[in-house]
Amino acid sequence: MEALVASALGLLTAAGTYLMLRLRTFPMIVGLTLLSYAVNVFIFAAGRLVTGMPPIITKDAIGYADPLPQALVLTAIVISFGMTAVIVMMALGAFLEAGDDRADMTEGDGQADKPSGGGGAP
Amino acid sequence: MMSHWIIAPVMLPAVVGALIVLLMRNDLMLQRVFSLGATIVLAAISLAMLYAATVHPPEVYFLGNWPAPFGIVLVLDRLSALMVALTAFLALCVQLYVIGTDWDARGRHFHALFQFQLMGISGAFLTGDAFNLFVFFEVLLIASYGLMIHGGGKNRLRAGVQYVAFNLLGSSLFLFGLGTLYAVTGTLNIADLAVKAQVLPEGDAALFRVAVVMLFLVFAIKGALVPLQFWLPGTYANAPGPVAALFAVMTKVGAYAVIRFGVMVVPATTPATGGLVADMVLPAGLLTLVLGALGVLGAGTLSRLAAFAAVASMGTLFIAISGFTPAATSAALYYMVHSTLAGAALFLIVDLVIDRRAHDGLHAALPPIAQSGLIAGLFLASAIASAGMPPLSGFIGKLLVLDALRDQAGLVWPVILGTSLIVILGFARAGSTVFWKAHASAPLEAPRHPPEALSFVAVGALLAGLTVLTVFAGPVTAWMDATAASLHDPAAYIAANNLQKAR
Amino acid sequence: MSLALIAALPFLGALLPGLMIRAGKNACAAISGMVTALALLLLGLNAPAVLRGEVVQTRIEWMPALGLNAHFMLDGLGLLFAGLILGIGLLIILYARFYLSKSDPMGQFYTYLMLFQGAMVGIVLSDNILLLLIFWELTSLSSFLLIGFWKHLPEGRQGARMALAVTGGGGLALIAGMLILGNIVGSYDLSVILENKEAIQASAWYLPALILILLGCFTKSAQFPFHFWLPHAMAAPTPVSAYLHSATMVKAGLFLMARMWPVLAGTPEWFYIVATTGLITMVMAAKIALFKDDLKALLAFSTISHLGLITMLLGFGTAEAAAVAVFHIINHATFKAALFMSAGIIDHEAHTRDLKRLGGLRTLMPITFAISTLAALSMAGIPPLNGFLSKELMLEEAAHTVWYGNPWIMGVAATVGALLSVAYSFRFIAHTFLGPVRDDYPSKPHDPGIGLYAAPAFLVVLVLLIGFAPMASAAWLVNAATGAVTGEAVSVKITHWHGLAAPALWMSLAAIGGGLMLLGSHAFWMRIWDAVPRPEAKAMFDAVLGGVAQASRAITDTLHDGAISRYLGIGTITIAAASYWAFDTGTHLAGTRPLMPVSAVPALGWLALVLATLAIMIFHRNRLLTLVLVGIIGLMISVMFAYFSAPDLALTQISVEVVTVILMLLALNFLPKRTPVESGIPRRTWDMAVAITAGAGIAALSYMLMTRDFAFPTIAEYHVANSKPEGGGTNIVNVILVDFRGYDTFGEITVLGIAALVIFALTEALLRAGPANDRLLAWRSDQRQAGDRHPMMLVVATRLILPIALMVGVFIFLRGHNQPGGGFIAGLVVAIALIMQYMASGFAWTASRQRVDYHGIIAAGVLIASATGIGSWFAGLPFMTTGFNYFHLPPLEEFELATAAIFDLGVFLTVLGAVMLSLASLSRIALRAGETVNVQPFDIDPSVDRTLDSEEAR
Repeated sequence: MEALVASALGLLTAAGTYLMLRLRTFPMIVGLTLLSYAVNVFIFAAGRLVTGMPPIITKDAIGYADPLPQALVLTAIVISFGMTAVIVMMALGAFLEAGDDRADMTEGDGQADKPSGGGGAP
Repeated sequence: MMSHWIIAPVMLPAVVGALIVLLMRNDLMLQRVFSLGATIVLAAISLAMLYAATVHPPEVYFLGNWPAPFGIVLVLDRLSALMVALTAFLALCVQLYVIGTDWDARGRHFHALFQFQLMGISGAFLTGDAFNLFVFFEVLLIASYGLMIHGGGKNRLRAGVQYVAFNLLGSSLFLFGLGTLYAVTGTLNIADLAVKAQVLPEGDAALFRVAVVMLFLVFAIKGALVPLQFWLPGTYANAPGPVAALFAVMTKVGAYAVIRFGVMVVPATTPATGGLVADMVLPAGLLTLVLGALGVLGAGTLSRLAAFAAVASMGTLFIAISGFTPAATSAALYYMVHSTLAGAALFLIVDLVIDRRAHDGLHAALPPIAQSGLIAGLFLASAIASAGMPPLSGFIGKLLVLDALRDQAGLVWPVILGTSLIVILGFARAGSTVFWKAHASAPLEAPRHPPEALSFVAVGALLAGLTVLTVFAGPVTAWMDATAASLHDPAAYIAANNLQKAR
Repeated sequence: MSLALIAALPFLGALLPGLMIRAGKNACAAISGMVTALALLLLGLNAPAVLRGEVVQTRIEWMPALGLNAHFMLDGLGLLFAGLILGIGLLIILYARFYLSKSDPMGQFYTYLMLFQGAMVGIVLSDNILLLLIFWELTSLSSFLLIGFWKHLPEGRQGARMALAVTGGGGLALIAGMLILGNIVGSYDLSVILENKEAIQASAWYLPALILILLGCFTKSAQFPFHFWLPHAMAAPTPVSAYLHSATMVKAGLFLMARMWPVLAGTPEWFYIVATTGLITMVMAAKIALFKDDLKALLAFSTISHLGLITMLLGFGTAEAAAVAVFHIINHATFKAALFMSAGIIDHEAHTRDLKRLGGLRTLMPITFAISTLAALSMAGIPPLNGFLSKELMLEEAAHTVWYGNPWIMGVAATVGALLSVAYSFRFIAHTFLGPVRDDYPSKPHDPGIGLYAAPAFLVVLVLLIGFAPMASAAWLVNAATGAVTGEAVSVKITHWHGLAAPALWMSLAAIGGGLMLLGSHAFWMRIWDAVPRPEAKAMFDAVLGGVAQASRAITDTLHDGAISRYLGIGTITIAAASYWAFDTGTHLAGTRPLMPVSAVPALGWLALVLATLAIMIFHRNRLLTLVLVGIIGLMISVMFAYFSAPDLALTQISVEVVTVILMLLALNFLPKRTPVESGIPRRTWDMAVAITAGAGIAALSYMLMTRDFAFPTIAEYHVANSKPEGGGTNIVNVILVDFRGYDTFGEITVLGIAALVIFALTEALLRAGPANDRLLAWRSDQRQAGDRHPMMLVVATRLILPIALMVGVFIFLRGHNQPGGGFIAGLVVAIALIMQYMASGFAWTASRQRVDYHGIIAAGVLIASATGIGSWFAGLPFMTTGFNYFHLPPLEEFELATAAIFDLGVFLTVLGAVMLSLASLSRIALRAGETVNVQPFDIDPSVDRTLDSEEAR
C-alpha cells in the first residue's frame, strides 16, 4: 500500500512540476496547485499510514493514527488555498493589464521604464 | 520579567491590522495615525525586549500553557530580540517615508497589509517551533504579495505573479522538508530538534540530511542565494520603492533562519550532518556576491542597481555566515544590521530620484532633478554604505568579515575586495549619470517637486542608524560577540525550553 | 588628544563652508583658512617634541575586538607631511578663493577640499593601519568629488571615475596587504608592526603583502603602469591639481612606502620592484612631458616623473637615499605647487594653457614670469635652487647603485631622466614667456591681483630660501623625517659643491647641456613623436571598463530576463540535486516497518488518481478540462484521506477543492480557454525530465519515510494522551488545531484574511481607469452562453439547500471539538452554500439580499481569535490557554463549553469572510465586464441593465 501512495505522490509531484514549468500562468498555477496537493499527501504520509483508527478518542479504539501530521496538513491546505486564490487573482490581473497571460516577462523584468510611482491616481 | 510581552510584537500588529480593516478602511488619515502609532509602540516594546534579552538568559513563552516540545513556544533570546528591534526600526522609517510620499494613497489596504507584514516577520523571528516558522513565513509572504503589487500596473503585476510563483515553490519545499524532519525525529520544537540531532540513530542520518538541506534551500530562496536568487531583481525592481526598502529585512529572515538552524540546531559537530551546511553556503555566497556586483555595474536602471546591490549584500552576509565560528557569526550579525539599513536607505533614495526624474533608466541624460544637491548627497552616502567604503559601517562590516574568514583568505578576500571595486564603479557610474551628467544639459526651467520633508526624515533616520553603527562599532560588536557566543553554545536556549518527555 | 583633534579639525571644518557660503565667498574661504591655520598651529605646538626625537601619541579605543582603534602618532615623517598638507592647503585656500569664478559653488568646493585635507592628515598621523586604510579610501573619494567638481565637463566626470577606479582599486589591494601584515604581527598598530621587521620579512606571506601594499602605493602615486589616471585628473580646477595631484595626495603613496620602509625595505624584492618601477616611471613620464602642449599636462607628467624619482630613491633601501627622497619631497612640493598655480594664472588670464597659442608673455605678465621661471629652473635642477640640491644628491645615489650586477645603468638612466626634465622645464619657460608677443591670445593677458600670485610667490621664496641656505632652512626637517623613516638618527649634509670628483657634477652638466640641445631641436623631435603611434591609455581604460560593464550587463540581464519558467526549472533541479547529494553522502538504513497489504478499493482509487494525473499532463491545454481533472484528483485525495483514517482531512480537502475549483472557474471565465503550443519538443522533453526527477525523488523519499519507524517517540503521543483530559475534546486533530497548536491556526486564518484583503486591493487597482479597466469594458464572452443563465431548477434547489446548508454548517461547527468538523470546515460549507446562491441567481441579486460586510467578518474573526488568546492573560495564563467545563441543564444532556470553541468561531468567521470577499471581488470584475445583472431571482429573459456601478456590488 505504501508503494501505491508513494507512486501516486511521485506522479502528482511530477505532473505539478511539469505544469509549473509551462509558459502561461494558468497551467503554472494548476501545476503549483497539484504540487501543494502532493505536499499535503507527503506530510500526511510522514505520519505513517494506518486504516480504521481515526484520531478520535473512543472507548474501544485499538489505536489512533498520528494526529499531528493531519493537523499540519489541515493548516497547510488552508494556507495553500489562500495562496492559490491570490495568485489566481494576480494572474487574472496581469492578464487584464497586459492583454496576454504569459508567465515570462519578455521585456526583461520591466526594466525598460518604471512609471514614476506606478499606481496612477488612487 | 517580560512574560506576555514576548508575544506583543505579533499580536499588536495583528490586532491593529484587523482594527484598521474593521473600523477605518475608508479613512486614510485614521489609518496613518493608528498604523504609525502601532509601529512606534512596537519599536518601544522591541527596545524593551532587546534590553531584557541582553540582561536575562533566553526566555520561553509557552503558548496555551502547553509544555515544550508538545505545544508551540516563542523564544526571546538576543538574536530574536535583535531581529525584531531591527524590523521595528526599519518599519518605522519606511512608514514615515510612505506617509511623506503618499505612497499609501496609491492603492487600498496599505497600512493593514503593512501591519500584517510586521506580524509575520516578528512571528518568524520569535517562534521556537519549526512548523510555526513555516506558518509565519506564509503570513509575511502573503502580506508581502499584497504590498509588492500595491498600486498595480502591468510590470508590477507580472513581476508579482513570478514572485508568488517562486515562493510557492519555496513553500512546498518547506513543507516537504518539515514532513521529512517530523517523520525522522518526531518533533517540531527547535530546541528539541537541536537535542535530537545530536543523538540521531546512524541509519536515519541520510534522511535527516535531506530534511536539513531542504530547509536550507528554503532559507536560501528567502535569502536570494545563487542559484535561487532569480526572483529578487525582478521583484525588488518592480515593487514600490518603500516596499522594496521594507523587503530589505525579508531577505534577512532567510539569513536569520540559516544562522538559527546552522549554528544552533545542526552545528558542524553534529554527527549526522557535519559540515553539510557550510559546504553549501560558502560557494553559493561567493557566487551570489559576484553576481550581485556584476549586476550593480551592469544595471540599466536605478531600481535594478539597488536590487543587485541587495543581492551582493546577501552574498557577503552568507559568506560571513558560512564561517560558522563565533567570530564569523558576530561579523555576520553586524553586517546583517548594516546591510538592512543601507539597502533600505538605497531603495528609498532611488525612489526619491525616480519620482522626481519620472524615469528609471540610466542611459538618458535628463535635466537636474528637484532637491538635486540634497538627494545627491544622500545617494553618495548610501552608495558609500552599500559599496562598503569608509567611513560608514559597511567598511567596518567588511573588515570584520575579512578578519573573521582569514582562514579562507585565499578564496574569500579576493572575491570580497574585487567585487567591492566593481560595486564602487557601478555606483560611480550611476551617480555621475544621474547627478553630474544632468548638468551637461542646462534645465529649461527650475524643476518643481514638493519637498516632502517627512520622506527625507525617514532616509535621514536610516543613515543616522548607519552612523551610530559606525561610531559605536566597539560596543555594538561586543554585543554581537556575546550574541554569537550564546548561539554557538545553545545550552541556555535549550534549558529555557524545559523539554518534557511524553507521558 | 591633540593629534586626534588635528585630524578631526578639517572634518569639522568641512561642515562650515556649506553654511558660511550664505555669508559670501570671502567668509567661506576665511573660515576654511582659519580651521586649517588652527590645525597647523596645533601641529606646530607638537613640533618641538618631535624634533627632540620624541614620538607624540594619542590613543582612543574604537573597536578593540577587531583591533581598529583611533590611535594617532606624530614623528618626523608625520610632521613633514602634515606640515606640507596643512601649509600648502592654506595657500590653496587663498588661491582658490580668487581662482574660482562666480558661477562655481564655492561652498561645495571648500567642503570637499576640507574633507580631503582631513583624510590626508589622517593618513599621515595614523598609528593604526586599519584607521589608515579608512583615511586612505577617503582621499580617493574626496578626490573623486573634486575632480568631478565641474559637473558639466565630460572630461571631469570621466577623469574622476578613472581616478576612483585606479586609486580605489589600489586601496582595496592595500587593505588585503595590510590585513596580511596585521595577521603576521598579530596587531594592527603601526608602532607594533614597525618593530617586527624580522617576523615580517621571514614570513611566507611577505611577498604577497609587499606586492599588495605596493599596488596601493603605486596606484596612488601614479607609478608606471598606473600613471595614466593622473593626467586625466587635471580636468579638475587648477587649485585641486596643485594641491591633490602634485603636492599631497599623490605623495600619499610615497608616504606609505616611507612609513613601511623599516619593515618592508632592504630586501632584493623591495629593491627590484620599487627602484625599477621608479626609474621607469621617471624616464618615461619625463619623455612624455616634453611633448605635451597643454601646460597642465606637461606639469602632470613631470609630477609623475618626479614621483618616480622619489620612489626610486626609496627603492634603493639605503638611509642616504631615503634622506634624499625626503628632501626632494619637500622641494618638489614647493616648486611644483608654484608651477601649477602659475599655469592656473596663465589659463585664468590668457584663457588658454596651450603652449602653441602662448609665448611672449614675459612683458605682459612680468610677475607671473618671475615666479614661473624660478620654479621651473628649480624643477630643471639649476643651481643654486633647491631642485638642484636634491637632484645632485639623487644622481650621486644613482651613480653608486648597482642594478642586477650592472654598475652604470642606474646612473645613465637617472641622467637621461634629469636631461629630459631640464628640457621640458626650459620648454615651459621658453614657449610660454619668451619669444615675440603675439596678437592672437584668446584674451588679453596681464598679471592678476595679488590674491592669485601671493601663494605661488610665497612658495618661490621657499624655493630660494632652501636653495641658498639648505642646512639652515631644511636640514633639520630632513633629519627628523629621515630619522623616522630609517629608525636611526641621521644628519644630512646638503651642499652645492661636492667637488670635481663627484660624478653627480658631470651628470648634471651632461643633463643640462643635453637638455638644452634637446629643446633646441624640439620641433624635430616633436614631428617624430607625432609620427610614431603610441598606446592611448584612456582609450584602453575605457575599452576595458566599458567591456566589463557590457559583459556584466549581458550576463545579469540574460540570467534575469524574466523567464520564470527557467527560474523555476533551475530551482527544481537545484533542490533535487542538493537533496540527492545530501542523501548520498549520508548513511542510510532501510526501514523495517511492516507494509500494509494492497486491497482492491484503494487500488481502484489509486488507478483513478493516476489516470487523472496522466490525463492532466496530456490535456492541460484545454483549461476547462484541466479544472475538471483537478477536481477529480482532489476528490481522490480526499477519499484517500478518509480511507487512511483522516476524516477531518477528507472533509477539508473536499470543501477546499470545491471552493478552489469554483474560484478558478470564475477566473477562467476571463482568461483564454486554451493554452497555445509555445514550447518545442526539446523544451518539453527537458521539462518532463526535470518533472520526473522531482517526482521520483519525492516518491522515493516518502516511501523511505513511510516504511520506517520514528527514531524517537513523537510529540503526538502527548497530544493523543492529553486531548481529552487536558484539551477537553475527543477529536484530537481539532484539539491540536484549536489548542495544542492553536497559534498555528491563528496564523493560518490570518493568512486567509490577508489573502482576501490582497485580492480586494488588487481588484480596486484593476477597476481604476487604466488598461485593465478598458479591457474589461470592451470584454465580450468567448463562450456560448446558456439560454437562461440562472436556470429555475437550480435557483429553486439552492434556495431550499441554503437553510439546510447553514444548519449543516452550524452542526459541523458545534461537533468539531469532539467529532470530525470544526470552524474551518463549517466556514467553507456555509461559504459554498452562499456561493451557490451566487451561481444560481447572480451576485448582484444575492448581494442585494445579504447586506453583510465581508471586511467586517474577516476582521471580526481575527479579532475574536485574538481575544480568546488574550483572554487567558486575565487568568494569568499564557496566550491561548484554553479552559472548558461540562454543564448540565435539564432536560438537555450534559454538554461542554470550551473557550476553544470561541476561538473556533473566529476561525469560522475569517474563513467565511475571506472566501466571500474574494468572490465579491471576482464578481465586481465580472460586473465591470458587463455581465448581465438580474434584479429578479431568476430570469428567463436576460435583463438589459448592463451597467451596474461596481460600488453597489461591494
